[in-house]
Amino acid sequence: MKILMYSWEFPPLISGGLAMACYGMVKGLLSQGIKIDLVLPTKEMVYFPLRQESDADTLPTVFLDPILHSRFVQEKFETLQEKLEYIGISTRPETYFQLAEIQHFLSIKKEYWLSDTVTHEEQDLWNEMTTQLTGDEDLMKKVQEFTVRAERYAAALSFDLIHAHDWLTYPAGMLSKKISGKPLIVHIHATEFDRAGGPGDERIHKIEHAGMMYADMVIAVSQYTAQMIMSRYRIDTGRIRIVHNAFSMPDDAVYAKRRLFKGPTILFLGRITIQKGPDYFLEIAERVLKVHPDARFIMAGTGDMSRKLLRKSASLRLKTGFLFSGFLNRKQVERVLRASDIYVLPSVSEPFGIAPLEAMAYGIAAIISKQSGVAEVVNHAFKIDYWDVDLMAETINHLIEHPDICKKLGSDGKKEVNRIQWDDAADKIRILYSQILSDFIRRQ
Amino acid sequence: MLNVVFYFQVHQPYRLRHVNLLDIGQNIDLFDDKLNRQVMKKVSEKCYLPTNSLLLRLIKLHEGKFKISYSITGVAIEQFKLYAPEVLDSFKELADTGCVEFIGETYYHSLSVLFDTNEFLDQVSMHRKLMRDEFGYETSTFRNTELIYQDRLSDLVFEIEGFKTIITEGVDRILQWRSPLYAYKNYSKDLNLLLKYYKLSDDIAFRFSNREWPEYPLTVDKFVNWIDHLTLEEKKNRNQFLNLFMDYETFGEHQWAETGIFDFMEHFPAEVLKRSNLGFVTPNETTHLANYQQESLSFPDAVSWADEQRDLSAWLENDMQKNAIETMYDLLHRVKQKGDEKLLEIARKLTTSDHFYYMSTKYFQDGDVHKYFSPYDSPDQAYIYYINALADLEERLS
Repeated sequence: MKILMYSWEFPPLISGGLAMACYGMVKGLLSQGIKIDLVLPTKEMVYFPLRQESDADTLPTVFLDPILHSRFVQEKFETLQEKLEYIGISTRPETYFQLAEIQHFLSIKKEYWLSDTVTHEEQDLWNEMTTQLTGDEDLMKKVQEFTVRAERYAAALSFDLIHAHDWLTYPAGMLSKKISGKPLIVHIHATEFDRAGGPGDERIHKIEHAGMMYADMVIAVSQYTAQMIMSRYRIDTGRIRIVHNAFSMPDDAVYAKRRLFKGPTILFLGRITIQKGPDYFLEIAERVLKVHPDARFIMAGTGDMSRKLLRKSASLRLKTGFLFSGFLNRKQVERVLRASDIYVLPSVSEPFGIAPLEAMAYGIAAIISKQSGVAEVVNHAFKIDYWDVDLMAETINHLIEHPDICKKLGSDGKKEVNRIQWDDAADKIRILYSQILSDFIRRQ
Repeated sequence: MLNVVFYFQVHQPYRLRHVNLLDIGQNIDLFDDKLNRQVMKKVSEKCYLPTNSLLLRLIKLHEGKFKISYSITGVAIEQFKLYAPEVLDSFKELADTGCVEFIGETYYHSLSVLFDTNEFLDQVSMHRKLMRDEFGYETSTFRNTELIYQDRLSDLVFEIEGFKTIITEGVDRILQWRSPLYAYKNYSKDLNLLLKYYKLSDDIAFRFSNREWPEYPLTVDKFVNWIDHLTLEEKKNRNQFLNLFMDYETFGEHQWAETGIFDFMEHFPAEVLKRSNLGFVTPNETTHLANYQQESLSFPDAVSWADEQRDLSAWLENDMQKNAIETMYDLLHRVKQKGDEKLLEIARKLTTSDHFYYMSTKYFQDGDVHKYFSPYDSPDQAYIYYINALADLEERLS
């Protein structure tokens, strides 16, 4: 079986959890004998033919330049937007992306979508997608260009089905389906509602909706996300399947505790954006530090709310109780995990959330937002509504005051998460692939 | 008679390393030895050495008629010893001429008077001892960090035996119709008060090389004519004092040699001394020369010589600055209680006002000046490194 897969992120091209999820999934699928042609928003027009498990680790980095990207990009740019602009298709889309290509893009629209064989429904979905894809921002232009390129992949490569991850690649997936006639699976790692922590950008909703409607199957990363898709996008439940993400730790991981601080250390780890609830973490810290002034709260990561949070923490006069790490590379993340006692995920809306699993793998007691997919797969963690900062603070106080309970929760959690494997998730996806294919063959 | 009073501020902070979260508790050196050495070497070459040798030559040339004064911070002297001992030697040569006054201040160039008066008194004594040890000089004039001054400060300084004069900024909102050219008294009439004549001081310190300035280029002739003109308001033969106070780094560092600043200085004393109604004195000499009843001035709120506002806002305006400085004095107190001398020295280096200046978020014209002097990318970064340094100190303490 061969899959044409579209993703916006893949290691070493990382800006969020999507890259790590795709990586684990692709590796798991490859180990089960599935072949994948992976298309990423590279500067050159290339795709990555992945045939065996090790291929996932050996992407020709001449197109991805891991050192320049993962280090330089992460350190240099604050927001996701900035990062995407840099790591995306081209650094100067306005010069790189010629007017002629946009016209070509529009001609594709006519060629594929104004023929007599196209149903009205299909035409509506296409219009929904293309009319939203007309923004002038760099990101929209990159999505346009990515979509234009899909035409050649869809026509030139042979594959059995198409698998597209998150909205940035849905237009490419839709076009590929139209051209090849092969079934399309769209994978929801996060919706615009999750990312924006509110309604967000309506154009993106429309593209997400069109992608899900046009797909043969929608995979959601959690029950929480499936619920969101049904209630917000009105997608037929019959087409939605849930496959929880898994996670894997690198072989060279070191788990032994190594403290930075003598006092209890509480960690936030992730992008400092509204979705992740960093402001709730600060409110929790303010409450806990009143009772335990020797505690240290670490805010690890960067994001568009960094500055706001920094200033706010200063205004609360938390002294040295609330500290910022700035960008951390993988080894530094490990260092900070080894130094922490309690991990908090205060996300406002987290479709899945791999970070808590990683934290738990280090034997750290975890407190997880109920508004997350990860809460569905672990038992040995406290699950609390993100907005209930009083309960969060009380729970942390309780763990600080009872180190034995904190330690027990950490070690139980470690055992639990070590059982969550990508192979199992990949197995579920492989079965879904087969179902779709047999449906498809039956229909023909 | 109008007397020009030159006072030059000599200061270099111990700049912090980029102290990251993961450096905490690792016993690293918190101060950026490499950067501090680099800056000291550069400023020595561009400013301290050439300016010292020029002024020494001028003092000898004018045989006692050209006089100047310095305030050199303890942390600057420490760094001379570490990175540029020849600079300290050249200051000693200047001291030997007898035409140089050394002014007292806090050893660490700190804002301690606003947060911890005991620490303030300690740092002032440390500095007095340093001036005695290095230059054999007994200080009798006091200037507080960045010319920060208010009535309460004069009470504290009066308590210390030996200080007769305080110098500060000639702030309009205090002076109102009065002239900064006369010597005043502090509010309790215990101390002599000299006020910076900021317009003419800043003409040299800030505007000298500014081509947009209508008076550009500033020639010695023009400048001395302006000074001469000031004597027209002199009444009843009262002695006037034109207080030209500025950073010493003005010469060769803020105003590069190419701007002609050294030529200006070279010819300035001769031009002044040519005129019978003009001369030079040092701050402590003004106490004898004030031949009139000195009016007392009250400074209920703090003033300084920084930025347009001439208040404390360059160091103590935003929450980052406030959290940083409050936490630091809290920690300093705990370090003292523990009695660890090594940690006390680190903590005191963190009292230097520059650390808080780097955290300033004033974005307009003055913000540019802040940025020019900051070794960090942004106020936020400066704050993060500083708080991490404090957290590290706290870990060493517990």
